[in-house]
Amino acid sequence: MNTDHDRLNILAPRAIKPKFDYLHREVQRAAGRPLTRRQALGLGGMALFAAACSSTATTQSGTSSSSSSGSANALAGKPLENHLEIYNWSEYDDPSTFTKFKKLPAEAQAGMTVHETFYSSNDELLAKLHAGGTSYDIIVPSQNAVAELVQENSLMRLDKALLPNLKNLDPSFLKPSYDPTGEYHIIKDFGITMFFFNNKIVTDELKTMHDFYMALPNHVSKGRTNLLDGAEEVVPLALMALGLDPNTTSESDFNQVKSFLLSIRKGVTTIDSSAYIDDAIAGKIILSQGWNGDVRRIVQGRAKQKDITAIIPNEASEIWADNWCIPASAPHPVAAHAWINWLLTPSTAVTEMNYHNYKIPMPSALDQLSSDLKNDPMFNVPKSYTDNYHYILNVSPQVVEARTQIYSEFKAA
Amino acid sequence: MAVAEKTPDVAAAPAATRRRRSFKPRYPAWLTVPSLLYYTVFFLGPMAILVAFSLATQQGFGSLKYGFDTSQYHQIASPLYLSIFERTLVMAGLGTVLAIAVGYPVAYWMARYLSTYKMLALLLIVVPFWTSFLIRTYALKIILDPHGYLAKDVGINILYTKYAVAVGLVYNYLPLFILPVFASLERMDWTLIEAATDLGARPFTAFREITLRLTLPGVVTGALLVFIPMTGEYIIPNILGGGNYEFVGNVIGDQFNQAQNQPFGSALSIGLMLALSVFVIAYILVATKEEQFGA
Repeated sequence: MNTDHDRLNILAPRAIKPKFDYLHREVQRAAGRPLTRRQALGLGGMALFAAACSSTATTQSGTSSSSSSGSANALAGKPLENHLEIYNWSEYDDPSTFTKFKKLPAEAQAGMTVHETFYSSNDELLAKLHAGGTSYDIIVPSQNAVAELVQENSLMRLDKALLPNLKNLDPSFLKPSYDPTGEYHIIKDFGITMFFFNNKIVTDELKTMHDFYMALPNHVSKGRTNLLDGAEEVVPLALMALGLDPNTTSESDFNQVKSFLLSIRKGVTTIDSSAYIDDAIAGKIILSQGWNGDVRRIVQGRAKQKDITAIIPNEASEIWADNWCIPASAPHPVAAHAWINWLLTPSTAVTEMNYHNYKIPMPSALDQLSSDLKNDPMFNVPKSYTDNYHYILNVSPQVVEARTQIYSEFKAA
Repeated sequence: MAVAEKTPDVAAAPAATRRRRSFKPRYPAWLTVPSLLYYTVFFLGPMAILVAFSLATQQGFGSLKYGFDTSQYHQIASPLYLSIFERTLVMAGLGTVLAIAVGYPVAYWMARYLSTYKMLALLLIVVPFWTSFLIRTYALKIILDPHGYLAKDVGINILYTKYAVAVGLVYNYLPLFILPVFASLERMDWTLIEAATDLGARPFTAFREITLRLTLPGVVTGALLVFIPMTGEYIIPNILGGGNYEFVGNVIGDQFNQAQNQPFGSALSIGLMLALSVFVIAYILVATKEEQFGA
């Protein structure tokens, strides 16, 4: 037992507190002597409580909670729940990852069930969480959504004691700019923004994002050129090409990037980030930006023609990451930690990477990959490149508005 | 309710007074409560939310402070957004004119020249509606593809330009125009044309003075039926315009999905609705005229 007997952390809705207080008094009265809250609740208060609100399925067992770990969540020693509710991007985890998780000794004993639902954009995820009433244990936000959710106190501080496999991750990915303390997220996988061109038509030597932009007006007459769509892509990527901070708040930076974008507007045939993969595989695009996983598919799709050159830009470009997070309101936090810890197992990471082809920054897992995947720089992007890359964040509503304004003007031009 | 009770009175006015009773509504008015409830919850409700959004102030991501902030509406008046409004209305207007130019002859041909195959022709006009709008637009994209026959062999390479958007608008909304015009042409009494010819009118004069006038309400209905959804178009400019020729709908989408700026997105939506209501009022005026003359 611990010295601070009156400090008790019970994972339950705040509204339940009066009920707990009442319970505390009742149990003290029944026992005929003063008890600490911990003892009172431990002495069977929970039985009364369970009877009082038997319909509250999410109520956690408070008896075994302990504050000795020093963690804010006090999850250590809590029993594993028997259910896990995941809200994820579709087809983002190998099916065997789920079945094997349920068969792990502790999980099998708890009778673990996993249920997964899907979203198609960070906005959808954020809108769902903002609307409230959700009971997800695991969500998979991208970096900008993580930053937003941290700001809003919507995420649970992770209990690292429950994540022993965290040691497997590359430490340089633990405290990124979108969660500087590294307390709210575990990186799931990451990718970059690069560009590609048809080497039979575009014969210049293009090395940086800036080279890419400058090549657009020269080649647009020879075929379709494409930029990735979205205010959060168009504007920050151009800022980086100019050597500026993608997350800038400066008015003069915005003016500079606006005139730069408008100067190359005539060189852009389409602004699209969904149909470009199929169109490029069909040979319809001569010069375009793309995300590394997509570009990899395009290069493979054009393997017969061998006419696509993919460039991982020197100097600055975008790096993005999807992350495991636990909402503050998660009803099954221990199971959620167990899930993340399971995904941090090297063998699981290998299965996962073979399935989704996005890099998980886990050296021991990367070593086990087949050589064609491991040695493909479009999958295993060398650190020498990503060291210069930046995460694009939704810094503030004002910045997002400024980007959207430039983006609208760019498209309307 | 007052209107519902009054209209039969007006209709009954010329009839004998003893018949008036039978024109009273036979069923109690409260039977409309379910429909009115549906209308209130699913139509007026969202509208009220939209108005409240447009007057709110954005406070951090995804949270709004409700109030009476009209700054969003001032922002619409900037040259950028006015030009997008203008482009949307001009393009929808052009699309409507093209729909009339293409649709009227088709409807006329069906009503006047076909008898046995009339229903078959009508079916063929309606059949595309059984396919998803999105899929039809993608199909059009294949036809307009720069590597396709139209571009390579005919020399019409317009994908990702405003011309592709115009083609998409006409194609997707044409049936909506043909149907009401066909209906009004079907109701036409062609003996009137015969009479006009007998009285010495040239065919075109007869068409202009009789057919066109009698079918004008159908044309106006059809034109508004295509014009209004065209101004709210999102998919066609997105897929066929390639981001080069965007409508207000796309800008609204960006405000909601990307900027997470619900107030400005809502203000743009309401601006579009106000711009459109001008045309709806014009329609109501024409439609009432039609009733007056009993066409």
